[in-house]
Amino acid sequence: MAMAHVPSAEEERASRRIPTSRYYIVWIALLALTAITILVARMHLGHGFGLVVALLIAITKGSLVALFFMHLWDHGGANRLVLVTSLFFLCLLLGITLLDNASRFPLTNPPNTETLRWSPPGPDILSPGVGAHGTSSRHEPPREHAPQEQQ
Amino acid sequence: MSPSPATIPPSTEVPLFNERNYLNDKAGVWSWLTTVDHKRIGVMYLVLTTIAFALGGLFAMLIRIELLTPGPTIMSAATYNRMFTLHGVIMIFLFMIPAIPNIFGNFFLPIMIGARDVAFPRLNLASVYIYLLGAGVALYGMIHGGADTGWTFYVPYSTTTATKVVPILLGAFILGMSSIVTGINFIATVHTLRAPGLGWMKLPLFVWSIYATAIIQVLATPVLGITLLLVAVEAGLGFGIFDPARGGDPILFQHLFWFYSHPAVYIMILPAMAVISEVVCTFARKNMFGYKAVAFSSLGIAFVGFFTWGHHLFTSGQSTLDAGVFGVLSMFVGIFTAIKVFNWTATLYKGSVAFRTPFAYFCGFLFFLVFGGMTGIALATVSLDVHWQDTYFVVAHFHFIMVGGTIMAYLAALHYWWPKMFGRTYPEGWGLVSAVLIILGFNATFIPQFLLGNMGMPRRYYSYPPEFWPLNVASTAGSTLLAFGFGIILIYLLISLKHGALAGPNPWHSRGFEWITLSPPPADNFGPVNPVYIHQPHDYQHPEPGPVPAPGPEVPHAS
Amino acid sequence: MRAEARVAAEAHLAHHFPNLEQQAHAARLGMWLFLATEILLFGGLFVAYGVYRFLYADTFKAASTLIETHWGALNTVVLISSSLTVALAHHEAEHGSMKKAGLLLLVSVAAGAVFLGVKSIEYGHHFHEGHLPGRFYTYAGLQAPGASMFWTLYFLMTGLHGLHVIIGMGVLGLFGVLCLRGKFNEGYSTPVELGGLYWHLVDLIWIFLFPLFYLI
Repeated sequence: MAMAHVPSAEEERASRRIPTSRYYIVWIALLALTAITILVARMHLGHGFGLVVALLIAITKGSLVALFFMHLWDHGGANRLVLVTSLFFLCLLLGITLLDNASRFPLTNPPNTETLRWSPPGPDILSPGVGAHGTSSRHEPPREHAPQEQQ
Repeated sequence: MSPSPATIPPSTEVPLFNERNYLNDKAGVWSWLTTVDHKRIGVMYLVLTTIAFALGGLFAMLIRIELLTPGPTIMSAATYNRMFTLHGVIMIFLFMIPAIPNIFGNFFLPIMIGARDVAFPRLNLASVYIYLLGAGVALYGMIHGGADTGWTFYVPYSTTTATKVVPILLGAFILGMSSIVTGINFIATVHTLRAPGLGWMKLPLFVWSIYATAIIQVLATPVLGITLLLVAVEAGLGFGIFDPARGGDPILFQHLFWFYSHPAVYIMILPAMAVISEVVCTFARKNMFGYKAVAFSSLGIAFVGFFTWGHHLFTSGQSTLDAGVFGVLSMFVGIFTAIKVFNWTATLYKGSVAFRTPFAYFCGFLFFLVFGGMTGIALATVSLDVHWQDTYFVVAHFHFIMVGGTIMAYLAALHYWWPKMFGRTYPEGWGLVSAVLIILGFNATFIPQFLLGNMGMPRRYYSYPPEFWPLNVASTAGSTLLAFGFGIILIYLLISLKHGALAGPNPWHSRGFEWITLSPPPADNFGPVNPVYIHQPHDYQHPEPGPVPAPGPEVPHAS
Repeated sequence: MRAEARVAAEAHLAHHFPNLEQQAHAARLGMWLFLATEILLFGGLFVAYGVYRFLYADTFKAASTLIETHWGALNTVVLISSSLTVALAHHEAEHGSMKKAGLLLLVSVAAGAVFLGVKSIEYGHHFHEGHLPGRFYTYAGLQAPGASMFWTLYFLMTGLHGLHVIIGMGVLGLFGVLCLRGKFNEGYSTPVELGGLYWHLVDLIWIFLFPLFYLI
């Protein structure tokens, strides 16, 4: 059964005519940002900047879509919170997982191709026919870090 | 929270048993299969999860019987691996995750906030069918041999095993969708269907905790979905996303899996805490001590629970930096749980305690949550976990929380709300007897497992050295007692449906919001009058009489 | 709003909601919650991408040169434009121009079809060259660790995205037809709004997929 509903200020705002020009402007902006991101990618910025710039442009485009096409600009305290919260937890998952791979002892990261080439420290006590002090090759100081081929 | 005193009729006008209720509102199987009534859906989930619990419990008993002797007892090693896998999958995905939210959340959330139904009733019905579909697909896998990977499906074994892991993965994926749908429904309901006058700070604490659970369901379950899908794709198609030979990282699977599965344990415990908040206030006849603290600690648990998943990877090969970070973050969850425990206990102080069956389960819950929780904090210490990881210590820890915590609360909820749901009371004597049996049986089952784990007995092992024999026998004996207790409960509850004493609208004289309706509730929850909320839930301080349903003129309200 | 429109819209009011605005508000919130789950569903794959790009940065860079940027750019323009038409469709529906709304929705479906057509051209090219996931990878030109992983992620992520495009096309197509048949009016255009939100999410995900696979 119906109860009286006084529209909130937010709903009043939403029901006022939004001019369609807003959508076209956002569309042009999105196309322009697409062009920019392609051009910047061609510039081959070094030191990982290419990824950073590409992501920043993508975030900008995404924000335009979310705010104006999906109307987060006009209404939604709860809706905005839902989007932001999901993105926050996604970044949390991504961040800590990447931190794991970034801070592991390098030989334990995939593709683990260096593992077999690394000599462990100390005498070789496992090979048969080798004395307790091992052969001279086993006395080499071990390399601290395997060469980073992938970085 | 009750209509104004002037409109309360004499108690003789309130029927002891509401004849025209949601159960007989529309007759016939088809009306049940197509119902959108949240109360009927709650009852359907009660039936389905009870069947699931019985099946999972059967596997548990088979495991315990097998572990009666150090060598083979009743099954082969390959079968044993399937037993513990299926026990875990069924118990977690078919019982623990759905039970309290889908039964009691569905039934009571709308009533507690003065709504006539959840926000999306048809979606609610869909969640039942999605649950059935997921259960069916998993059952298909079980019948065709089942999986032997453990419920955690770790790669690379799960992607290379010859057992029927793909249907079980897909079944779990579909069940996850049912969980997501329920979560969406509850969040939208709490945001948009609260009755006029019912602000957030007047919500029953049950609603707060179910709301926090729903947030976790919505945010975490999709990650499980994609992870299980990836394992299925790799197992079925050989795409190699976790395969080291193709450059994959098996630890990535563990990160993705536990990002869901750790918050999942909070999906299991928060509804239990929701129930306990209600039970404590009713049976102590006192307002909740620290309402705001308990309310916000539910959100706190939901939030912090997402930051701790790596403590399942302490011995797996993640970096020591991550291990340290997760070890510290895992400690914070204890703070919010402690807030709740202190507030519940403070509520009892100078309360007028009625020691009924739900309260007995609360006592069990409190003891087991505290001890199980403390072993959790101990396990979160990396150096200790190195010794205890993959031993029975971990098994005992999570069973303390899940059985000692959630299932105690589930039984408390069942007994607390049985009169409201079905209009009849259960026999209190048998209730207390089975509560004692369950609490004792539980102790006998799982305390030996802490000792076994500390002595070094690995989990998921089919055979063990003879020095672990006596404690295993003790554990199996305890589990038999547990099974007995559950069996007795099932029997007297079913009998009470026909022969139980009529309950009346408020047999506990509770001032929880749900007790203002009739027992069993009418199909539209409240009859023609919408409830108006004046006081806090469980407000035992004001002198007016307890809430009674009062069909009277509509009371005008201020928005 | 016209009186007849409100009366027709009231027919869609469910018994447990006090009024249409509240119901629409709840529907919108429910849809956003569902979109959050979709973000996290794809999120798992983005995490896998992040980890493997970190581990195999050079190999991924080399592999992405094998993807033709112009197809991806075309698809990006197509999807962005379809987002525009969907937004306009909702706008028209809210102001009662059901015919325009329906036609705009069907244009969006056509854009989706173009997107899928381009993707199938791309997929055909990749099958031909041996740029395939996991054990199917046979491209001799790049045989470093992690090479097949690039393509595994590519096919999984664009495949899942493509599945969502197909679903979105179905949803928009259905609502486009219903608009043209006059099932909605300015008092009740919630399905168009919700379908639109879903389509915008599909566009959003592509906005991130495009640079990650085609550009860097």
